[in-house]
Amino acid sequence: MNVSSQAWVVVADDATIGGLLGAARPLGTSLVALVAGRREVAEAAAAAGVDRVVWLGEPADGVPVEAYGPAVGRVVAEAAPRVVVGPATDSGRVLLGAVAAATGAVVLAGASELSLDGDKVVVERAVGGGIALRRDRVVAGTAVVAVAPGGTVAGAAPVAVEEVDPGPLLALRVTDRRVTPRVGVDLGSAKTVVGVGRGLKAREDLALIEDLAAAAGGELACSRPLAEGVDWVGKERYLGISGQTITPDLYVAVGISGQIQHMVGVREATTIVAVNSDPHAPIFRECDYGIVGDLYTVVPLLAEAFRAARS
Amino acid sequence: MKIVVAYKWAANPQDAEVGPDGTVDWSRAKGAVSEYDPVAFELARVLADTCAGEVVGLTVGAAAIDTPLARKAALSRGLDSLVMVADDALRGADGTRIAAVLAGAVRAIGDVDVVVAGESSVDVGDRQVAMTLAAQLGWAGLNAVRAVTADGGSLVVEREVAGGVETVVAGGPVVLAATADAALPRVPGMKEILGAAKKPTQVLDLAALDVPAPADTIAPVSTARPDTGNRQGVMLDAADLPAAAAQLTAALRQSGVL
Ligand SMILES: Cc1cc2nc3c(=O)[nH]c(=O)nc-3n(C[C@H](O)[C@H](O)[C@H](O)COP(=O)(O)OP(=O)(O)OC[C@H]3O[C@@H](n4cnc5c(N)ncnc54)[C@H](O)[C@@H]3O)c2cc1C
Repeated sequence: MNVSSQAWVVVADDATIGGLLGAARPLGTSLVALVAGRREVAEAAAAAGVDRVVWLGEPADGVPVEAYGPAVGRVVAEAAPRVVVGPATDSGRVLLGAVAAATGAVVLAGASELSLDGDKVVVERAVGGGIALRRDRVVAGTAVVAVAPGGTVAGAAPVAVEEVDPGPLLALRVTDRRVTPRVGVDLGSAKTVVGVGRGLKAREDLALIEDLAAAAGGELACSRPLAEGVDWVGKERYLGISGQTITPDLYVAVGISGQIQHMVGVREATTIVAVNSDPHAPIFRECDYGIVGDLYTVVPLLAEAFRAARS
Repeated sequence: MKIVVAYKWAANPQDAEVGPDGTVDWSRAKGAVSEYDPVAFELARVLADTCAGEVVGLTVGAAAIDTPLARKAALSRGLDSLVMVADDALRGADGTRIAAVLAGAVRAIGDVDVVVAGESSVDVGDRQVAMTLAAQLGWAGLNAVRAVTADGGSLVVEREVAGGVETVVAGGPVVLAATADAALPRVPGMKEILGAAKKPTQVLDLAALDVPAPADTIAPVSTARPDTGNRQGVMLDAADLPAAAAQLTAALRQSGVL
């Protein structure tokens, strides 16, 4: 299949597309946004500095963006761009799956770096859940890449929104939506983060860790099992490959073994401190300072020392 | 209702060896039902029990995924039967090809109403195969599913979205990827493990499935070990914890991170 020199982004009814555009723009001679979802999202994309916006029309009440999968696959396959970048989100992956099925391409997920080698797209990504990095060159067909969608973009002179007929949609209908109260937390920009894992024996004991976080002037976070499974900490606070990625000055990991899927989310921390009762815990191979000990003894001592130092 | 659980027999990357050049050696890592798949077995069984349905397990991969242990591990998790495609032509196959073979197998099983999968596989973790499978079947796909029930000819799906939970009604066949904590998977007991031996397993021939030949769209350029930041790895003396706490605090203050 011959491909054009265009770069496309797939937009899944969400205008936070800064990351998609940033990744796609250097890879093509022109940048096209294919928007599934509401007109306001298409209009936001049109003002985000793209050359064209192709819009699949206003969804009827209750029709979720996933219903547009076949349309997205068909439109991309007909255009045969050099690269399609889409959001690594729940609905984004559905649309990218449609592109993969329509073009035969592999969805390259977890991409950390995209570049061009001649007219071929080269993708660097983490593989094996983060144990290794690999670079691949897409030698035939369209390159299909999933990246974090990124922030909002605005301010460019808007281009026209070209509406195309989506054809038959899939039979999906949203019949109810319940909002769950959520405390907003910005772990991404926190300077200090204290993470706790399964070393914690009871939910009540979280108070200890919260006190350490307060003493350090930081945010509370956790490993995945504490947010999913036991549900002691909100899901928005777990760190790792499927949770949040943080870049603090200081990360203190308490009762966390340091499995690869967790470490991928905290590796950018300037300094990592680990507290764990097992001297062989993998986290001790990836920390700056380690204390082997029972968190129930160590944490209060640390909190006291941190508090004294910062006051 | 016919329900397929698409699961993976996979090794944990924690047990793989990563060479200095970033090459991964999986030879000493053992296969198992992938970490987030038991929740899919559980959702499927619960759904089947409420609507007199049937649960078929489905897995595809290299020949080594078909062992008596692997069959038992799947069949003891509430399946009525098991279907496998185990062929060395699938060793290292990419997600789109795996999804295409799964789709071929779902068509071969026939009359399937819903495929349930886990959130992601332990060895790859791309969260993509189930949704590519949906597209290859021409079905709807939904991620982040926490519950599913049958209502006449429709499936009623609860899924997590940013800031809440949505109920989505699927009027046609659908592929669902469950959240990691959608259900608490039952641990197979002696009865289930013994019962597994009596349940049927069918091995499908890859060549007989209607699956296009793989296209070589990707060529490897290089591999590398991830940068773990050359950490200092200073172990503080645990024999005197108050002194260790003071020493740590001083070091953190000095480097300006506390
Ligand atoms: C596809 C996939 C994606 C995943 N994504 C993520 C992710 O994004 N984030 C994530 O965190 N995990 C993720 N996981 C799970 C991950 O593999 C680990 O299971 C998880 O990180 C382990 O959490 P933990 O360290 O809290 O628990 P454990 O591994 O059980 O470790 C608990 C630690 O506490 C120590 N301990 C026990 N008692 C004490 C005590 N009294 N004092 C001090 N220390 C004590 C133990 O020595 C042990 O090291 C993922 C897994 C898969 C398969």
